[in-house]
Amino acid sequence: MNIRDADFCVIDLETTGLNVKKDEILTFACVPMKGMKILVNDSFYTLIKPKKYKIRTMKFHGISEKDLENAPLFEEIADTILNKLNGIIVGHAIEIDMEFLKRYFKKVGIKFERQTIDVALLEKWLGERLGERKVAEELTLDALIKSYGLKATYRHNALADAFFTAQIFQIQLLKLLKYGINTIDRILGIISSCKLSKHNFIF
Amino acid sequence: MIPPKEFLKKIKPFSFLSEEELDTILSGLEVEVYPKNSIVFKENEQLKQVYLVFSGLIGLFDGEEIVDYISKGELVGIISAIYNTKTTLRAKALEDTICYIIDKNKFKEIFDKNPKFSSFFLTFVSKRFKLFTNLAREREIFEEATFLIDVAKVIAKKPVVCNPNSSIKDAVRIMEENKVGSIVVVDGEQKPLGIFTDNDLRRVVLNGDKHDQVKKFMSSPPIAIDAKKPLFDAYTTMINHGIDHLIITNNGAVIGVITSKDILSQLEPSYSVLALYRKAIKATSIEELKIVFEKMNVAVAKMALRGLHFYDLSKMITSVHDAVVVKTIEILRKNYDVENFVWIHMGSSGRKEQIIATDQDNAMISSGSENMLEFAKAVNEALAKIGIPKCPANYMASNKRWNTDIETWKGYFKKWFNEPIPDHIRYLSIFLDMRPIYGDKKLYNELLEFIEDNATNQAIRFLALDATLIEPPIGIFGIKNLKKGIDLKKFGIYPIANGIRVLALDNKILSITNTEERITELINMDKLSKEMGNNLLESYEFMQDLRLKHQSKAIVTDKKGDNIINVRELDKLDLLVLKESLKIVLSFQKFLKSRYAVSRGL
Repeated sequence: MNIRDADFCVIDLETTGLNVKKDEILTFACVPMKGMKILVNDSFYTLIKPKKYKIRTMKFHGISEKDLENAPLFEEIADTILNKLNGIIVGHAIEIDMEFLKRYFKKVGIKFERQTIDVALLEKWLGERLGERKVAEELTLDALIKSYGLKATYRHNALADAFFTAQIFQIQLLKLLKYGINTIDRILGIISSCKLSKHNFIF
Repeated sequence: MIPPKEFLKKIKPFSFLSEEELDTILSGLEVEVYPKNSIVFKENEQLKQVYLVFSGLIGLFDGEEIVDYISKGELVGIISAIYNTKTTLRAKALEDTICYIIDKNKFKEIFDKNPKFSSFFLTFVSKRFKLFTNLAREREIFEEATFLIDVAKVIAKKPVVCNPNSSIKDAVRIMEENKVGSIVVVDGEQKPLGIFTDNDLRRVVLNGDKHDQVKKFMSSPPIAIDAKKPLFDAYTTMINHGIDHLIITNNGAVIGVITSKDILSQLEPSYSVLALYRKAIKATSIEELKIVFEKMNVAVAKMALRGLHFYDLSKMITSVHDAVVVKTIEILRKNYDVENFVWIHMGSSGRKEQIIATDQDNAMISSGSENMLEFAKAVNEALAKIGIPKCPANYMASNKRWNTDIETWKGYFKKWFNEPIPDHIRYLSIFLDMRPIYGDKKLYNELLEFIEDNATNQAIRFLALDATLIEPPIGIFGIKNLKKGIDLKKFGIYPIANGIRVLALDNKILSITNTEERITELINMDKLSKEMGNNLLESYEFMQDLRLKHQSKAIVTDKKGDNIINVRELDKLDLLVLKESLKIVLSFQKFLKSRYAVSRGL
């Protein structure tokens, strides 16, 4: 399929930690893309009430227990979220987010499988085309936002991060087109080749 | 808040919107990317959306010709979207471009609801010129680099020093002799040990004796700063220590003292122009005048970059310029046995409109004797030495032709008026702006009276034709060939100055030479409509400002100035006002053509 005809869904989660087996999702945000166009209007954001709130993680996500008071539980909103997750899932360090989502959907009896594209891996690949070996610090979302000339004055809100990720992905697609890469298959091929060599790839 | 909202909020006119209104705009928002050379929209399209450039550059094309650039933070497609008309231009991405695309219905909803928002666009549409220049001026003025110059450059005098064992009496005597408010107490190697100021003197009066040693009452340790530090550091040092005299050192040795006044005079260039004016009047040699003139150019450039406007600035410069010329004549006339004469300026100096790089344009009504020619030659040479270049076309008093008796001058004008060939029209354009600078004004008045009485209708029509021949390169969609730059003098400033001169001649107000004053007088006389007159005043000043800023940047960066403005130098608002200004030039030319019936030539 041509890139311009593909559906993408750029997502970002905020969680109580990085342990995909134990930590909990606090927010979910997604910004859909039709081809290279970001559909800001169709973006979606929700808080999710955790089973157990860990106050010490608040400094990472800034979400207080009070904020979550009236938030829905995941099972209450799982269908809505599932409906938003159309097409290829795009994100920064997307594997982790995917692991969280798979675990959550599994709990409500849904087997969640999607093709994914990680903008960090894509960036690594693009860097290699120019003879650059980007180190992990150059591939963080903050670093990418900066290097793509997108100003981040208000970050670490899942929706803002998802939007920034979408803008980064959009420009990456433009770069890929210039290398003659215009199909989804080829991008997915690039991603899987990067995954093979991603040992010790820490974000 | 999501990022697009943040971006929008910072951009006029979205900054006028409430949160809900912004949300409405956002609810119809998409972000699209256009690779370089791809088409954003074509001609004859009915747009469903308004485009806001987030990054990159869009060119608007009329056929193959580019007529406008849309860059970051600018909108395109408004008219088509709001008035449901078809596009007249093609939009192409000149670089990889990202656009925020706003749904036209959402845009129109806000447009209809928020008057502040819509009036922003209506000024674009109905081209309310006045508003534009106001907008352009409200912007922050150019940040200059004054604060970054080396503090050493500010030192005005050699340091006044004494040794620590000097008596208070001796120290104060040295201060008095040098007319300074402080003396630096130094050791054998000129290293500062302390500073003794007028303030310290008070303590002596209260608690000491004039025969006491100065080291007993000096402020020590002294506050000093290295000569290579920027002026800004000097300023903050003085403020932080609450002192008014700061010692400047080079390798630890005193090389001068500066006061807060010295710093302020640097920061306030108009202050320095006044000071220069005083210096010019007091000057006793050509060398002194040369120094005054050099400094003036820099002071003027700084003021222009600070946002001082042409009309005020050109008048200040003219005063200093005139003072330099008068002084030069006064110094040199002693060497010559001069007879009765009047020294005249023409061209931009005659119009009191000179700014920076203006050549000499002068003439003389005198006996035209060898002696007077020699005298004029000496003045021209001296002025060139001072820094006012000689006129390459030799419109100078040292030229026998332009230094002659009153009857010959009358003969010139009579001939020019009666035989309006191109050369004569050119002479008229130059000499009709004459202004007496020095000498017997009666000679000038006699010639002026003759000119006004002998101007022929035929010559006036030829002058009108001449003022309308070169039309500004402006089409329906904007300025043509912008990429190559636009000659402001040729297309904007001259047509106005020349056209106004025609009206001044026709209405016998040539004794007024300044274009602004001529326009004002023509409005008062009902010879120009208020509307056109005011539009001309605004555009004339605006274009002169642009030219001035352009040349000032060249001076500050030690380059040679010209009159070609490149589109890249202009921000969007300047470009818009320039477009409007050129349109006003065009309509003024139309007015002249019909007023003097020269629409189809002569």
